[in-house]
Amino acid sequence: MAVGNSKMQLQTGTGWTRGLNNMLRGELRAWFHTRKWWTQIIIWAAAINLIFLMVSFSSIDAPVSAQVSIFNIFLGLAGPIGASIILQGAVVGEKKSGTAAWVLSKPISRISFIISKLISNSVGLLVTMILAQGLIAYLITAFVLEVTLPPAGFIAGLGVHLVHILFYISLTLMLGAIFDHTAPVIGIPMAFLFSQQFLPSLYPPLLKVLPWLLVMQPDNVSENSIAGALMTGTRVPSYLPLFAALVAIVVFIFVALWVFKKQEF
Amino acid sequence: MESVIDTHGLTKTYKQVEALKKLDLEVPKNSIFGFLGPNGAGKTTTIKLLLDLIHPTAGSASIFGLDSVRNSVAIRARIGYLPQDPRFYEYMTAREILDYTAHFFFKGPQGEIDARVDETLKLVGLDDKADRPVKGFSGGERQRLGIAQAQVNYPDLLILDEPAASLDPMGRRDVLEVMERLRKYTTIFYCTHILDDVQRVSDTVAILNHGELVAHGPIEELLASGEGTIYEVKLKGAVENVQQKISSQPWVSGIHSKVLNGVTHWTVSISDPELAEKELFRLLAADEHAFVIDYHPQEHQLEEVFMRIVEGGKNGSRQ
Repeated sequence: MAVGNSKMQLQTGTGWTRGLNNMLRGELRAWFHTRKWWTQIIIWAAAINLIFLMVSFSSIDAPVSAQVSIFNIFLGLAGPIGASIILQGAVVGEKKSGTAAWVLSKPISRISFIISKLISNSVGLLVTMILAQGLIAYLITAFVLEVTLPPAGFIAGLGVHLVHILFYISLTLMLGAIFDHTAPVIGIPMAFLFSQQFLPSLYPPLLKVLPWLLVMQPDNVSENSIAGALMTGTRVPSYLPLFAALVAIVVFIFVALWVFKKQEF
Repeated sequence: MESVIDTHGLTKTYKQVEALKKLDLEVPKNSIFGFLGPNGAGKTTTIKLLLDLIHPTAGSASIFGLDSVRNSVAIRARIGYLPQDPRFYEYMTAREILDYTAHFFFKGPQGEIDARVDETLKLVGLDDKADRPVKGFSGGERQRLGIAQAQVNYPDLLILDEPAASLDPMGRRDVLEVMERLRKYTTIFYCTHILDDVQRVSDTVAILNHGELVAHGPIEELLASGEGTIYEVKLKGAVENVQQKISSQPWVSGIHSKVLNGVTHWTVSISDPELAEKELFRLLAADEHAFVIDYHPQEHQLEEVFMRIVEGGKNGSRQ
């Protein structure tokens, strides 16, 4: 439908996708039309690859799988921390500041609000944390360690990191929908991240499903993490943690949508 | 008369506290509807219910004949809303905020949307600050931007929560002018504490107190509901005799007297306006020791009616 004499058309539709494109455009603008994207790249390069570079120089003769596991450990820790810090403001921050109420007074579905946060922050973290840091790490491996990792395997390994970070993005998003304060939203993912080192000793079957195993070498086991195995072209011990993480991501998103739909602003 | 907003028994309860009690409200199409009440009366709660930002405990609301809960997206597509304390993304400029808002409603050539954004910026006097991030805006500038984003979509219903708050007198005048200009295109439903503004632009008024609707109707009817008539009189000289004479008249219900800078100020409450019109000035003029320097009947002000209704609880109701 045209608006008066203008060539503008009215947006139509009242389904769950209403407002998604515009909200997503705004969210991506917040990532890539501000200094956020390059400051994130610098921060995570310092936190992940600077350490990887220093370790590579100091133990240049170590096996390549051990070298790569250093990168995986640091990206595996920095990813969830970064995701939780960035995502805690995405919903709770907007609820507290009042911008969520302002946006939701426009013709946008609540599902679009949450999905746009999920997609934009996943893309932002994919670019700044996984692709940018992966590229730097690949160059360090090639030029400092003088080892050429299989590109397809390396990319697959980065894909596992994406799933790992998505687990924490969706968990934080869900907590952001549930709580109105930042403390539990950032505290619970952090507590979960670090408690995974100890949880299997309390209940050993967890060793087969925890997201920790996507990127970290399991303790007392001479096997690689899933990401490490894919990057170095060795046997993947089990894909079960990957499937478990994917299921958890779907559950977290579903709960986030369900809770947010009932929220009051 | 066609109504834009219709609520039936609309109720909102927070943890045993009834913020809004069985609200039955009709807002006529193309009216400027002043929604008044003291702080905590339930005005913002009502607005949030209409926008589906909060959910009713009981009752229902329909806007444009659509249910406010089931059809909220379709309703919001035809509404412009200014929150009480407008908050925007701080990293965006005023132009970006309006472009972002416009894209929730429109698609099509970006040039057309840009033109609409420019037009709106000019309307609220922000065209010279259009490319500054909102982060540096003053309270008044944020309010102007709030008004701009509320009407960028040519809304059929404009909901304004305290539109003149944080504006200087010029800004306040501009807002009222914008409201009067928009009257022929849209219905305006607004909350305010500035009762002079309501009296100036509104045609219909509702007063809410403690979550209950205590008055609702055309503003002329509400103003006409003032009890009795009051005359303001200023006198010089010895007023004791004339005061005694006037007080003894059966159509005078009381005289409140005070002296300021040698001038006696009377507020004369009248029970029979017709007799007062004939007799009061004659009695004053006939006295040889007092001189009348000002004399006029006082018109009822909305503030007076509002105070009477709100302070008198439900007794002031005209429903």
